[in-house]
Amino acid sequence: MAERTLHGTGATPRSGVGTVVWYGRDISIPEPDDIEVEPEAEAQRFADAVDAARDELESEREATTERVGEDEAAVFDAHIQFLEDPTIEEAVKTAVNEGHPAPTAVDAAFGQHIERFEGMDGRMAERADDLRDVRDRLLRLLTDGERVDFSDLPDGSVVIAERLTPSDTAQLDPERVAGFATVTGGRTSHASIFARSLALPAVVGVGEDLTTVDSGAEVVIDGDDGTILVGPDDTERAAAAGGSGAAIVDETVTTTDGRHIEVAANIGQPAELEPAAERGADGVGLYRTEFLFLDREGPPSEDEQYEAIREALDAFPDGRVVVRTLDIGGDKRIPYLDLPDEENPFLGERGIRRSLDPDSDLFATQLRALLRAAADGAGDLAIMFPLVATVKELDAALDALDAAAADVEDCSADAVDIEVGVMIETPSAAFMADELAARVDFLSIGTNDLTQYVMAADRENERVGDLHDPTHPGVLRAIHRTVRAAHAEDAWVGLCGEMAGDPELTELLVGLGLDELSMSAVTIPEVKTAVSETEYSAASERADHARLAATRSEVHTTLDT
Amino acid sequence: MTVERTVTIVPEAGLHARPASAFVQTVNDHEAEVSAGRPDGDLVQAASMIAVTSLGVGQGDDIKLVADGPDAEAVLDELERILTTPEAELNTDDG
Repeated sequence: MAERTLHGTGATPRSGVGTVVWYGRDISIPEPDDIEVEPEAEAQRFADAVDAARDELESEREATTERVGEDEAAVFDAHIQFLEDPTIEEAVKTAVNEGHPAPTAVDAAFGQHIERFEGMDGRMAERADDLRDVRDRLLRLLTDGERVDFSDLPDGSVVIAERLTPSDTAQLDPERVAGFATVTGGRTSHASIFARSLALPAVVGVGEDLTTVDSGAEVVIDGDDGTILVGPDDTERAAAAGGSGAAIVDETVTTTDGRHIEVAANIGQPAELEPAAERGADGVGLYRTEFLFLDREGPPSEDEQYEAIREALDAFPDGRVVVRTLDIGGDKRIPYLDLPDEENPFLGERGIRRSLDPDSDLFATQLRALLRAAADGAGDLAIMFPLVATVKELDAALDALDAAAADVEDCSADAVDIEVGVMIETPSAAFMADELAARVDFLSIGTNDLTQYVMAADRENERVGDLHDPTHPGVLRAIHRTVRAAHAEDAWVGLCGEMAGDPELTELLVGLGLDELSMSAVTIPEVKTAVSETEYSAASERADHARLAATRSEVHTTLDT
Repeated sequence: MTVERTVTIVPEAGLHARPASAFVQTVNDHEAEVSAGRPDGDLVQAASMIAVTSLGVGQGDDIKLVADGPDAEAVLDELERILTTPEAELNTDDG
């Protein structure tokens, strides 16, 4: 039996075993009772750490000014001022004189302010992140902690973190990571999606208990039932290493009565392309382009974007790669773009709204790169626009695509024969699906966001997790409405939310009339198997009953019988 | 010499981010002791980024500044310039 079992939310139907590496908390503050404290020496240690931190910050500011610009470097000025803040300095000095070691004093001095800022709204809460950064920098210098370097993780590492942001996960090498666990987060949080797309065992939303697991501990991450076994015994270790999953299906699949369903992969970074192809993906149903923009100091060049899309097209020479244009905003922040703070970013300027900003050429550059890649790459390119709410936005995006095609020599959209589509994520887009479908080749329903907006339930907030469930009849009716509208306009329609990867929902989605299901690579074999066992005519009838149900539990009763 | 002044904040970001950085930097570059606060509230140490940010003053809010020291007038002139200059025009290179 394992020494301890912790419970969270399983993010992937996978389990794995490995050694814990804490991310962003490589700092362990020594127990104050264990050390002799010389107030003078501690004060000097603190002063030295402040000097060293200032040096680091200044050189980081300089590098950023040079590579990106003065505006983007301004955050380092703020960090230097937090570092030198007299209230911190006084608090640390007082604590040190009372006999506390410098790290404890620093932790306490920042802690009270961090807590206070965290309790405030939007912009103020972000200051808590700044203070946390400065505190951690100081603590690292005080405790000789090393920065966690992801390029250097030992094989078989289980990464544990408070939370993982998109730029954190972009640095993780899936080859070396055996799994991960986070204190916060739910099934649709960024970290979960990342785990599924890489078929990595992951458990999220474990809560504060997770912080008691130390670096170096051996753990089993069971993403199926959402548990973490600390110090597993031989049997548990062997069971976890054994793995699971259905047979890989390389061929395309049809229902028992001959309806072809495309089963494609959601891809968030190039490292996921090969695993997706190996797991039998027919193509890519959602290629997220944000990774190109994250974790760097300036936007990627047109050539760099061209190469990345080209790589994706070449990975699926006989398939289709649906690329979503840049979807920043919401929870995905890009520091160098210096986007204004928004009270409510999920209802703010994200997706196509941001791309259509007349003061930015990001969109035009991306479209040119896409068109060039389509002309040269092996697979078929399709482009879709995220978070469209109005026909006007779609028309503007289509105009931008025409303009980009005219810009790119010998490569008009017609010549390279790309498909163009719209993501259905807003209630408005679902209601306007007929008008939107009339203008494009396909619709793709992003059920994570559609559910969030239809149900008005934050996908990261576990307290409303029950509402954030795409099997509520309200969401199913939005999906049905969209499919019907698309087919009436001879457009195909796909679904690329997390529900697409749940084999227990495959019959429902096929029955609702979807032509394509796109999911994290991990469950592609299971879903392909489920499609091949489904009879479309029966599924269609059952899906009608499901969507016409009054409650979610009635929906599930319909599906279970 | 103690000088007091109340200024209405112009930068869109309020007393945050760059304006706050420039504000604190300016206080630190002068000899005078400066405190700041909402006109009807407590005054805080203007040399503290944490304290200044915690005021939570936004665009259009009034802020009271009190300076005590030989260059009290000069520091208030400079702070007033920062607080009344739209962010885009703010020159932070003079610190």
